Amino acid sequence: MDTQSVSRRNFLKVSGLTGVMLSLGLYLPTHAEEAEIINTAGAADLGTDLNAWIRIDALGKVTITDHRAEMGQGSYQAVPQIIAEELEVPLNEVAIVFAQGNRKYGSQITGGSSTVRGSYKNLLKLSATARQMLIQAAANQWAVPVTDCYAEAGHVIHKPSGKKANYGTLVADAAKLEPPKDVVLKKRADYTQIGKPLHRPDTPLKTNGTAGFGLDKTLPGMLYAAVERNPRLRGKVKSFDDTAARKVPGVKQILKVKMLVHSTPREGVAVIAESTWAALQGKKALKVTWDDSGFEHLSSEEIYKRQHEALQTNEGLSLKQQGDVADALAKGSKKLDVVYQTPYQSHSCMEPLNCTAYYQASKVEIWGPIQAPDMVQDFISKEMKLPREKVIVNMTFLGGGFGRKAFTDYPYEAAVISKAVGAPIQVVWTREDDSTQGPFRPGISYRCEGAVADGKISAFKLRMAGQNLGHWMGAPKDKPNNSTNEGFLKPYTESIKNLSIADVPFETPIPVLWWRSVYASTNGFAYESFMDELAHEARKDPMTFRREHLPDERVQKQLDKLAEVSGWNSRKPGEGYGMAITECFSSTVGQVVKVSKNPNGGVKIDHVWAVMDCGWYVNPDTVKAQVEGSIVMALGAATQHEVTFKDGMAVDKNFYSYLMPRITDIPPIDVFIMENDADAGGVGEPGLPAFSPALTNAIFDLTGKRVRKLPFSLATV
Amino acid sequence: MNPRSPHTSPRWLNQKTMAMLSVGLFVTTVVTSAFTEERTPTTRPFTLVPATAPVGRDSMASVKAFANVYKVLMSPRCMNCHPAGDIPLQGDDSHRHAMAPRRGIDGKGVYAMKCTNCHQPTNTPGLHTPPGNPDWHLPPATARMVFQGRTPNQLARQLVDPKQNGGKNMAQLLEHAHDGLVVAGWTPGEGRTLPPLSHAEFTKAWTTWIKTGAFAPKP
Amino acid sequence: MSSIIITINGKDHSLDVDPQMPLLWAIRDVVGLKGTKYGCGVAQCGACTVHLNGEAVRSCVTKVSRAAGQKVVTIEGLSKNNDHPVQRAWQEIDVPQCGYCHSGQIMSAAVLLRDNPNPTDADIDAGMAGNICRCGSYLRVRKAIHLAAGMERKVSSRNE
Repeated sequence: MDTQSVSRRNFLKVSGLTGVMLSLGLYLPTHAEEAEIINTAGAADLGTDLNAWIRIDALGKVTITDHRAEMGQGSYQAVPQIIAEELEVPLNEVAIVFAQGNRKYGSQITGGSSTVRGSYKNLLKLSATARQMLIQAAANQWAVPVTDCYAEAGHVIHKPSGKKANYGTLVADAAKLEPPKDVVLKKRADYTQIGKPLHRPDTPLKTNGTAGFGLDKTLPGMLYAAVERNPRLRGKVKSFDDTAARKVPGVKQILKVKMLVHSTPREGVAVIAESTWAALQGKKALKVTWDDSGFEHLSSEEIYKRQHEALQTNEGLSLKQQGDVADALAKGSKKLDVVYQTPYQSHSCMEPLNCTAYYQASKVEIWGPIQAPDMVQDFISKEMKLPREKVIVNMTFLGGGFGRKAFTDYPYEAAVISKAVGAPIQVVWTREDDSTQGPFRPGISYRCEGAVADGKISAFKLRMAGQNLGHWMGAPKDKPNNSTNEGFLKPYTESIKNLSIADVPFETPIPVLWWRSVYASTNGFAYESFMDELAHEARKDPMTFRREHLPDERVQKQLDKLAEVSGWNSRKPGEGYGMAITECFSSTVGQVVKVSKNPNGGVKIDHVWAVMDCGWYVNPDTVKAQVEGSIVMALGAATQHEVTFKDGMAVDKNFYSYLMPRITDIPPIDVFIMENDADAGGVGEPGLPAFSPALTNAIFDLTGKRVRKLPFSLATV
Repeated sequence: MNPRSPHTSPRWLNQKTMAMLSVGLFVTTVVTSAFTEERTPTTRPFTLVPATAPVGRDSMASVKAFANVYKVLMSPRCMNCHPAGDIPLQGDDSHRHAMAPRRGIDGKGVYAMKCTNCHQPTNTPGLHTPPGNPDWHLPPATARMVFQGRTPNQLARQLVDPKQNGGKNMAQLLEHAHDGLVVAGWTPGEGRTLPPLSHAEFTKAWTTWIKTGAFAPKP
Repeated sequence: MSSIIITINGKDHSLDVDPQMPLLWAIRDVVGLKGTKYGCGVAQCGACTVHLNGEAVRSCVTKVSRAAGQKVVTIEGLSKNNDHPVQRAWQEIDVPQCGYCHSGQIMSAAVLLRDNPNPTDADIDAGMAGNICRCGSYLRVRKAIHLAAGMERKVSSRNE
């Protein structure tokens, strides 16, 4: 594809719309004050709606609504690419706008890798329906049989005569037609766009600074807020001295604020100023005295000690129980009983949390890097007692999300401050705020017990002790955490006759939240490390051992591919190879990691091979990018960073101690995609969980040393 | 860091030979201990101290002063920019500098990773922010002036060897105690420990060491 | 407050700001160019990288006063038509995911290629290790820099 012509053309169209809609201040900086904010709900000049996603103007320009958040994972491409296929328009000629939070789109929560897998069937159908209406409108205008007409590249063509009509001349009539009930969808083999590595429409916006992120939003009269929040969630503001803060030029107002994290109030002091810098300086000058009584101030050591103790004494709440595990463990000739430990993590999106809100006359409008506009709408509507339609939520581009921006606390906080101040407010979180406030991925410990007999697993028992996200959202505490088996391949449960999975309840006052691939991000390490340990006990090749325990044709094919691309069967002595295979959000990813001794000490990663089976997919290049990125994120979480707590507070405040992988740390990564006719699975997250066990299994293969605690240092392992 | 070298007379002879081969001014520094120095001063073909700037040669005082010099030079504030490799060190624990900036030929970094891209003319306020100086740099690749891992003996010899010290003569060496970047070690920015001596104490030790003959301690 | 005059993307701007204000916030909040990003505030992540007299400075720790009378180029001014070889290579490889770090990545890569038109992988590592990408696009960054190095440098206009 000709990058330049495509990106130019696309850039003009796309930025002309999204630039205006999201952040005119960014697109035309000097005119920000006069900018009219256009959004999909109110913009008449975008043309006629054929449905909530498709709009065509009189010139035939197609505008497609992306109802999901774009945080790097590619919804801004995937949703339009699906629609463009069935609508018969070239992706590079459509304009794309973000939806506001609105129930007409169904769920907009961009999490669980659900954008494509959750909506592709509907999107295909509604696009084919729109196409059929346009064809019908043309047939009516020409008074010809509809079966003689077809659509191509934004036009309807009458086959016998070659007559051609632009969609723009048909859309008004088409919109009046009754949508047909049954439409014929294209066959996958006939796709010209889906399944092709088309360029991302947002790339040109991201190479010249025009993509509007949350922090780029401006409004006339907007003020900036920085908030000094209690470093312990449950603490209160006892008092504060703002004498020095008020002296900072540009600081206008200082007020105590209270917002909700899940249902727990979080207190802080907000500094409202004329510029970001003034707000940050004012925040620094505040002296706040906290009241941190009435709850525990835990350290990391204490947290993991308690988890380990609980795993020794508590059988937990059973999630899955089959066969007689106790009996099989007792009879097993080779037994294993080990504990794995995984750390708390921060999302640390490159764009720190921020949100812009304008509360006026019993309505509030929100702009921000928001993964779940519908959830934000619901939450603010409930908490601020406003009708849903009076809570207008606009998504910008997100500078990373990873689950953190699917939460409601920071938009709600911005709304609360705007209401209190009576002006449009942009709340800016510093990197330090972002790193230390949480909610975090929970650190979880796992006790795994197992036995092998005749080269196969005769007993497998896993207990997990870690904070339950669900409990923060109101799930009953006497029921097992139904995420305990996330990451674990279902076919294992067919081959392992004596199997037990249980959740050992564990609580702390530290707030937790989903983090890319959620429970699978830690479960996968325990499950697939233990599988490797069992394979070793059984004296079986780890790949063969998995094969023998995964009686599923699709998985077997994936293992074939994994062995083939990684050269698994031709590995040489002195080379460390490890593998792991995990399931996450309806996709399965197998990975092989090759390591060798680093001449400067420790171990270095030589290569990573990943095979993704996500069934039906939209864009193979995006799938590969997501798996590459997931592996890098997993590499950081396994070998470089963890959130540690001291006295109830997160210790690591910024990238100088919460170390991120850098370009110098990245091994070659090759990603392969399985081709099959299965339904679409997730893409944004499933590439993550298999990496850390594949890595530590490789280290065991090389050194004989079993890593059971993350993170660890490659330099000293 | 050179525990295998015996400090016996063959070693001394060897060093003396090296000294004689050296065209530099600071040959007295090749002595490896006060004892050997005491026995052999008049046999030197060259003298550290030019005739026009007579000083009292005193190996005991010199070595004693160097102990203080060494303490300072090996403190993180000095050593971090005199690393063994081409990547500076960072922090009171002298860990490898985050993001692995490279020395570059001129010691000022490379490409998008030049020192002054982050290190400003003055310290940036706050903890864990880049310390500043208008002249922030590492020693250049042509004279890497490594402190990290050097024994007192090795460091003393290196400091006065013009081939290894960037071609400095005695006057320039003396003056180096007042170099802007050296002095900056005593205003290291928030959260960083100071060198173990004050700058005045360091200057005194440095000057004494050189003016009493720049003797190297025993290896 | 006296005004500070800075040439940004070829145009003189007179800014009435606290001279201590980081260049980042002056560019974003005062000049209104939002392509330069805040990531860490302590020169760890490189999202705020701009060119100051041609060098890839971290604007979050650079006081606006340091830029007085100097030439600053931001991502918006790297080329007129989004066609600097680095930008074209980024588009061809589809490097960005969320894209937030890439203003900084591109500004760093542009300096790398100016100083070394044919970088090896090791050179790229040495030049780009100051830019963090949480999405993990590093392999594509490397690939795109190699691609850009091979492109004929036809830049419509460099406002440097």
